[in-house]
Amino acid sequence: MNCFEFRKLLLTDPRVRTPEQERHLAGCDACESLTHEMEAFEARVHDALRVPVPEALADRVLLRHKIRAPALRAWALAASLVAALGVGIYFYRVPLGEHERVLTAAALGTNHPAVTAIAHVLHDEPRMLKENRGVDPVVMRAAFMRLGLNLPANGTTVLYFDKCPMTGGAGNHVVLQTPFGQVTLILVPDQSFGARVVVVDRDMTAIAAPHGAGGYILIADSLRNVRQTEKLLM
Amino acid sequence: MLIETKKSKFESLVRAYSTELYRYAYWLCRERFQAEDLVQETFTRAWQAWEGLRDDKAAKSWLYTILRNEHARSFERKRFDIDEVVDLDGIIDHTSAGPHEEIEMRQMLGALPRSYREPLVLQVLGGYSCAEIAKIMEISEGAVMTRLTRARLALRKLPGVAAPRKVKNL
Repeated sequence: MNCFEFRKLLLTDPRVRTPEQERHLAGCDACESLTHEMEAFEARVHDALRVPVPEALADRVLLRHKIRAPALRAWALAASLVAALGVGIYFYRVPLGEHERVLTAAALGTNHPAVTAIAHVLHDEPRMLKENRGVDPVVMRAAFMRLGLNLPANGTTVLYFDKCPMTGGAGNHVVLQTPFGQVTLILVPDQSFGARVVVVDRDMTAIAAPHGAGGYILIADSLRNVRQTEKLLM
Repeated sequence: MLIETKKSKFESLVRAYSTELYRYAYWLCRERFQAEDLVQETFTRAWQAWEGLRDDKAAKSWLYTILRNEHARSFERKRFDIDEVVDLDGIIDHTSAGPHEEIEMRQMLGALPRSYREPLVLQVLGGYSCAEIAKIMEISEGAVMTRLTRARLALRKLPGVAAPRKVKNL
């Protein structure tokens, strides 16, 4: 593969890296430099394409179809939206870290736990939140302590806590209402899923990181929100 | 019971995809109220045509296709696509050096011909491959690749974005 072929593929889909491209990159400083430029460029395009979405859009769609849940849930949702709006306006723009690459699901692979976790949150979490039967604070605190993580206190409430089916029941699925919005935390004890990664998929961002004798995955609607929540856990 | 399952699945789909569908709609029509109407209409049609969804895994592409067809039906009526032979060099003339890079990039994205912008949105926001985009847009994969390349080349002319370097061994 020559530089022209490499760059043609890079402009077509910067997320994809074939073995041939990797081999070319290893021996071509110019293309390596261009690849780094393209990563920053793609991040700019991604940010620009993410235009603000009207508040409670999904609720309006559901309202139109008259399948909304009971009023109590609507009040809870409204309250969380107001809180999220206040913080969301402040934290709207998501700067990319200088030392942390943000990967796409395609680049990371759909079987990676972080990508699977995003799919799990999008597909299953609404139902799980509906079925939540309450939280045992002792069990929850033990799960956090087992991984050496802090249970966030000020301004954070736990919306859901239970065993996590995607970890074979060995982990926990936690949904937190933080000052930065709703964030999902998957606690994975006694399992390693490799180095820390940041991945963006379907408007959600996930950080998967090893910690203690296992690891955790944080999922939220922006990189800033997962990072801010991550700080609360440390 | 069946209706409950349908409602539950439908609600999950709405919550999972309304945000990204709105953004896709916005970049198709570039008007916020129309974009929301498109999302509403998409889910209305999805609900009506629920039996057509055979595979849950295909739900996302199914919704994108409904939205695209709905946009074509509502706002274009006559033609589905636009002339591909566009002088991309002309796009740079519409930009101004604003204070915010993001606004500047949005202006450039808005100035791109829709036939170039749409595959870019589907790839960057939707996470689709070239083959999947080709299927949604009903064009060849080669055409998708060409449009993506041209779109990126045009956007890279923005101030502050490095232009592609000359390659010696072409």
